[in-house]
Amino acid sequence: MKCYMCALEGKDSEAVSICIACGMGLCMDHVIRDEVEIWEGGYPLPSKKHEKTLPKMLCKWCYDAYRSG
Amino acid sequence: MISLKKRFLAELIGTFFLVFIGAGAAVITLMISNGAVLPNLFNIGIGALGGLGDWLAIGLAFGLTVTVLIYAIGHISGCHINPAVTIALWSTKKFPGNEVIPYIVAQLIGATLGSFLFAAVVGMNAVTVGGLGATAPFEGISYFQAILVELIGTFMLMFVIMGSGIDRRAFPGFAGLSIGFTVAAVITTIGNISGASINPARTFGPYMGDLVLGGTNLWNYFPIYVIGPIVGAVLAAVIYDYISSEEKLPEGRVIREK
Repeated sequence: MKCYMCALEGKDSEAVSICIACGMGLCMDHVIRDEVEIWEGGYPLPSKKHEKTLPKMLCKWCYDAYRSG
Repeated sequence: MISLKKRFLAELIGTFFLVFIGAGAAVITLMISNGAVLPNLFNIGIGALGGLGDWLAIGLAFGLTVTVLIYAIGHISGCHINPAVTIALWSTKKFPGNEVIPYIVAQLIGATLGSFLFAAVVGMNAVTVGGLGATAPFEGISYFQAILVELIGTFMLMFVIMGSGIDRRAFPGFAGLSIGFTVAAVITTIGNISGASINPARTFGPYMGDLVLGGTNLWNYFPIYVIGPIVGAVLAAVIYDYISSEEKLPEGRVIREK
């Protein structure tokens, strides 16, 4: 698979990941690795946050959309 | 996990609202029926105008408050807002022992603030007519009967907490509704027996408010609302753990899958 963003810029590069939201192939330069906090438990016990976060690979468009709320 | 200081504050705020809104509903009911002709000594004013509907209204004020608080702070502190629940969770090793006292202190402070602020917004009639919604056994109900009914009511509450909140096999997201309904149902039925505290903090707040603001001193009844709820909650937690656990296979028995 090729990087969609690079293709738009007229470049040809191999994708190393896929955006989990829209599915586009992304090279290392265009992929955004988001770290998602994991909370466990809840009522009637306080929630606990996991030490490790869950990585989420996104393209810039999906990342911006998530961040805009 | 969120710090103990912040969870302390969450428990304090939660118990504050429980007493302000729940016990406050009992105060308002007594103030509305003040002066009404009471048919018998078993009727102190709650039920004078609406029969059991008065108790349903008070039960719903408590139950709806519990429901929304569970969704608001359940993930922060666990929303115990009840020392009996905290002790029952600790007794079944689900809650750390070193956090039991801070949680109970927060609940008692929140409940006391709830009573004082209710008196502040309503005036002294909340104390002299409404007794700040303090609980006491009704006419003809003995000390032992009151303990027993508080035990049964809190048993049901804790049983539902275990089944809908603790048990991860439960349908997710419905603990708040289930527990709120339970509180409303229990209060509707046993309200006119023991006052339906099912929570030592809920009784502590109005008792403290009455003591300081010149209301009736009911502290001789306080053991009812400590013994009954705590014993009931611990029994429910232990029994639920037992009936919901899977049977262990005898040692050495081997299961072969076909």
